[in-house]
Amino acid sequence: MQTDKTRYWLLAAPALAVMIVFYIWPLVNIWAISMTEPALGFGNYVKMTESQAVQTSFVITFRVAALTTVICVLLGYICAYSITNVIRSARPLLIAMVLLPFWVSVLIRSFAWIVLLGRSGLVNDAMRDIGLIDAPMRLMHNEFGVVLAMVHVMLPFAVLPMMANMRGIDRAYTEAARGLGASEFTAFRMVYLPQTLPGVASGALLVFVLSLGFYITPALLGGGRVLMVSEYITYQIQEFLNWGLGTAISVALLVATALVLIVAARFVNLRSALLERS
Amino acid sequence: MSDNFDHEMSVELAEVAAHRYREGRLTRRGLLTAMAALGVLPAVGFGGRANAAASELVIVNWGGKAADIIKEVLGETYKAETGVDVVIDGSGPSAGRIRAMVESGAVVWDVCDSGPGSAIILGEAGMTQPIDYSIVDRAKLMPGTDWEFGCGNYVYSYVLATNPKLLGDAQPQNWADVFNVKDFPGMRTFRKAVRGQLECATMAQGVALEDVYDVLSTEDGIDAAIDQFRKIRDNVIVWGSGSESQNLFLQEEVSMGNIWSTRAHLLKDEMDEGSFAVSFDGGVMSPGTWVVPKDNPAGSEEAMKFIAFAQAPELQAKWFELIGSAPINPAAASLVPESMAKWNPTSPENVATQILYNDEWYAKNQIAAEEKYVNALIN
Repeated sequence: MQTDKTRYWLLAAPALAVMIVFYIWPLVNIWAISMTEPALGFGNYVKMTESQAVQTSFVITFRVAALTTVICVLLGYICAYSITNVIRSARPLLIAMVLLPFWVSVLIRSFAWIVLLGRSGLVNDAMRDIGLIDAPMRLMHNEFGVVLAMVHVMLPFAVLPMMANMRGIDRAYTEAARGLGASEFTAFRMVYLPQTLPGVASGALLVFVLSLGFYITPALLGGGRVLMVSEYITYQIQEFLNWGLGTAISVALLVATALVLIVAARFVNLRSALLERS
Repeated sequence: MSDNFDHEMSVELAEVAAHRYREGRLTRRGLLTAMAALGVLPAVGFGGRANAAASELVIVNWGGKAADIIKEVLGETYKAETGVDVVIDGSGPSAGRIRAMVESGAVVWDVCDSGPGSAIILGEAGMTQPIDYSIVDRAKLMPGTDWEFGCGNYVYSYVLATNPKLLGDAQPQNWADVFNVKDFPGMRTFRKAVRGQLECATMAQGVALEDVYDVLSTEDGIDAAIDQFRKIRDNVIVWGSGSESQNLFLQEEVSMGNIWSTRAHLLKDEMDEGSFAVSFDGGVMSPGTWVVPKDNPAGSEEAMKFIAFAQAPELQAKWFELIGSAPINPAAASLVPESMAKWNPTSPENVATQILYNDEWYAKNQIAAEEKYVNALIN
C-alpha cells in the first residue's frame, strides 16, 4: 500500500516539479515583487485602490466578461439544445463545427475579426456596396467589437459543458410531461430546463473566469479604449516599467477571480461544474 | 521593413528602465527582466572583445534594418577613408547595459546609439566620456543637442499625419483642428503613452511653441492637456508600437494622428498619392544620441573621430533617405533631394515650427501624467 502511494507520487512528480518551478514559484515571485518594489509594504496596493484608471479597468473587465458570458450562455444553450435534441443526424458535423475554432489560434481569429470589422473591412464594404449605409460603421475599437470577438472565442466553452449535460438527460421525462398534458413550452420550462441548470452554471462559470483574464482579443480590438485588466498590467510593465504596480494589479485580478469562484461555490457544485464533465 | 523602428520603442523603454534603475525604483533583477522582455538583453557576453585591436571600432545600435544602414552608410565609408574596420553590434546599448559593462571593467563598445536622457544619466554616473568638441564639430549639430556626455546623431519627430482623401473638405491644419471633433470628424490616433502627446494637446489650446513645456510644468497645465484627450476620446484609437500606427493609417482606420516621422517616412511610399500627408507644424523633435563608454577599447580619440566623421552632411542625408532618421547636421538639409525635403523633420522650414523633446520634463512628470492620461481615455 505504502509503495503504491509512493509510486503514484513518483509518477506525478515530473508534472508537479514543472508546475512548481515554472508556475508556482514565479507566481510567488509576482506576489513578492508587488510587496517590495519600489519599497517594502502595501504601497502598490494603496496606489492601486486610489487609482481611478485601475478601478475603471476592473469595471470594464467585469462588464465585458459578464456581457460575454450572458451572450455565450444564450447562444450556447440554443446551440447545445439543437445539437442534442433536434438535428440528430448531423450531430457529428455540428460538434466538429463547434470544436473547429479551437484549432485556430486566438490571435489569428482576432486578426480575422479585424479584417471583417475594420472601417474598410469586409462587412462595411459589403454594406456600403449594397447601399445599406453611407458611411462606415464603427464595428471595432470599441466594446461592441471586443464582446463580439470574445463571444466567438468563448462559445465552445459554453456549448461543450451544456451539451455534455444535456446528453445525460433522459427524453422520457419531457415525454412524460407532454403525455400528462403539459404544452411543449411548459414541459421544457418545468421539466427540461431545471435539469440543464448544472450545465448552464458550469458553462457560464468557465466563460466568465476565462473572460476575466482575457488579453489578446481586447488588446487587438479594443483600440486602447476597452482597457481590460490584463492589458493594463501589460501597460504598466511594458510601457511604464512599473513592475510593482503591475504585479499588484495582477494579484488583485487573481484574488477577484478567486472571489468569483468562492461566491459561485455557494450556488454551484464547483467540483462537478469544472472538473467532472461527463 | 517593419523591424527597423521598433528599436526606437526599445530606446525609449530602455531609457525609462535605466531611469527607474537609477532612481532605485527598479531593482537590478527588475531591470534585467524588463530588458529581456524588450528583447534587448545582451546576446553576447561582456568581455568578449576586450582586447580588440585599435584598428577596429564597435558601433552599437538597436538592430534591425537600422544596423544594416549604419553599416552601409557609415561603416563602409569610414573603412574606405581610414582603414579602420567598423563592426556593428545591434544588441541594444541600453543605459543599464553600458553601466554594467563599464562597472565590470570589460568594455567592448566604442560608440553607442543612446538617447539624451540616458546620456545625461550615464554622464553624471561617470560611465561615459565627455564629447571632445575639438574633434566633434558643434556647428554640425542641431542647437541644443551638444551635451557634455553625448551629442545628437539623428532626429525623429512626433508629427501630425493625415489622410487627405478620407478627410475631404475638413482638412486639419494644426493640433487645434485635430482636437476639434465637431468641425473635423474622423478617427484619430495617439500614442498609448504620453511621450510627444501632451505637447500637441497643449499647443491645441493656443499655447506658443516656446511656452509648451512651461505650461506643462504646472499641475493645471498637465490637467488641461489631459482634458483635451478626454473631450475627443470617443474618436481616439491608440497605438503602442510604430508598426501599429502604420497599420492604422494603411487600413484607413484613422484619418489623422500623432505618429513618428520615421513611420511617416514609410507610409508616404506605401499609401496612394493624395492619401497621406504630414505636417511638422507643432511637431516634437526627439534626438538620438551618441555616447562613448568610459575606457572604450579603441580609445577616446578614435571614437570621437568616428562621431565627427558621421556628421558629414552627405552621409547624414543618405541616412535619412534610406531609413527616415533625419540629419542632426543642419547643413545636410540642402543635400536631401527636393522631393523628400518636405518629409525631413530637420529641414530649416520644419525645424522652425517644431520644439525639442524635453527630457527633464519627462524625468519629473511622466509617471503622474501617464496615470492621468490612461484614465482620461478609458474613464
